Amino acid sequence: MLQVNHINTFIGRKKIVKDVSFRVNPGSIVGLIGPNGAGKTTIMKTILGLTKFTGKISVENKSVTENDHGALTRVGALIEHPAIYPFLTGLENLKLYSLDEADMNHVVSLLGMTSYINNKSKDYSMGMKQKLGIAIALLNKPQLVILDEPMNGLDIEATILIRKIIKQYAAQGSAFLISSHVLGELQKVMTNVLLITEGKIIVDQPIDEFNRVSHQQFRLLTEDMPATEKLFRDNRIPITKTDNYLLIARDQSYPVQDILYSHHIRLLELSPQGLNFEQTIVSLLEQQRRQNHEK
Amino acid sequence: MSKSLYREFYKFRHEKFTWIAPLLLLIFMIAISGYISARFLAVTTCDSTDAITILLVIMGATMFSMEFQNNAILTLLYKSRRAMAVYLNKFIIIFVYDLILHVLAIVFTFTLAATMRPVSWLSIYQYHQPLVVNMFLTTGVDIITSMLIISIVFMISTIINSNAVVVTLSIAVVFFGEYISSSLLANHSLLTAWVKWNPLNMTMLTHQYVYYAGYHETTLLTDPQITMGALTYILVFFALGYLIFRKKRF
Repeated sequence: MLQVNHINTFIGRKKIVKDVSFRVNPGSIVGLIGPNGAGKTTIMKTILGLTKFTGKISVENKSVTENDHGALTRVGALIEHPAIYPFLTGLENLKLYSLDEADMNHVVSLLGMTSYINNKSKDYSMGMKQKLGIAIALLNKPQLVILDEPMNGLDIEATILIRKIIKQYAAQGSAFLISSHVLGELQKVMTNVLLITEGKIIVDQPIDEFNRVSHQQFRLLTEDMPATEKLFRDNRIPITKTDNYLLIARDQSYPVQDILYSHHIRLLELSPQGLNFEQTIVSLLEQQRRQNHEK
Repeated sequence: MSKSLYREFYKFRHEKFTWIAPLLLLIFMIAISGYISARFLAVTTCDSTDAITILLVIMGATMFSMEFQNNAILTLLYKSRRAMAVYLNKFIIIFVYDLILHVLAIVFTFTLAATMRPVSWLSIYQYHQPLVVNMFLTTGVDIITSMLIISIVFMISTIINSNAVVVTLSIAVVFFGEYISSSLLANHSLLTAWVKWNPLNMTMLTHQYVYYAGYHETTLLTDPQITMGALTYILVFFALGYLIFRKKRF
């Protein structure tokens, strides 16, 4: 479906996206997660051929370039704001991009927009505009849908509806690449997680695997916590402090035991600490920041 | 290309101003018809050239500003095969609208002449041609002049996102351009041979065609020269505008 190979994107002289590669398979819902300024929107714009880039992007094995968007015929997107013309009605906005009237009417009814679709879009609320933007992205039975912060301005009912529609389209084979700061919402739909910071991808995993293995941490308690903390910092072992414990990455559990043993600090507890999705993301970003800082 | 052109046409026909502009043109033509000689009115289609230019400036600037509002340009661009299609289609639409406004100006002129200011259409007037031929040729020449202004409006629109600023700047080009160019050429110098080819000089094409004796002294160019100059600058500004549009970060 979507294949992104070693792309680099520049804004002026600054490299915003750094050697990014990933795949989005048919039927998958990939959550693109990262802090503000990480490069999420730039990656999405790059896939849509809207920025200059090096590397290779292909949709259904057809290349996307800045000068040829022929491969994007069956790609729908909502980037930054709903792309609507206020002087047109909702339906007229859809007609601009629709290739199939029956499909357009289906999208309107699916999103529950029938009652106001013939009103001028300048009179729409923020949530209505957002829904219209999503409707434009879902037109023409897209193979790939790119949504940048789709839940912006949506009330709880609309959020649940959009989540349901995304799953429905994915079940029919559409692939999704979605960025959102509302991690809880994203977690409920995504099948894969793509974590990005400072223009680099640091995690690209199926969500089940992500939850199960990679980012479990260990909590650690010793008889001399201040000395332990200093020791770990001196040995450049990434740690997160909680009230009574230190949290360490799973792959550090053996090295820390050796260090403690060699410094005669008695280990009182070393046990797996399950983190929720948000905590894991924050912890991974913190670790990455620390590593970058140390470099 | 055809879908992209259809999108432009669809938006254009849903813009209120598209339908208001011909009415404004008619009101202007009726208002001006009482102040100029009947034959001059006939040749210049009731002095509609400046009015049409202003209407096209507003329309041209709006065609771009509506895209920058809400970043609709992003969707428009990725849905089009090439950025060139977006830019070219807008140019085609405004060119067709330019033709329509000029045709309407001719129709309004015939109607006004028949009802308010009768003239003999076959009497010989400028360039040893009948009045009616003068009118059609002036209209043709004015289509070139207005497209020159439009190519400038498009170029400015790709640089500046604000509709109001683009309209103000473009109208300044229309009204002060002639003054700036004539001031530059008034100081006869060694550079005059080059300066007379400046783009602002070309905006005087219609005026020179209608009043050759008065304007040739200012532009220092013949009718064919100024026509070729205007056509060349249309291409130059179109190309520059497109290059800026392609490089612009949205």
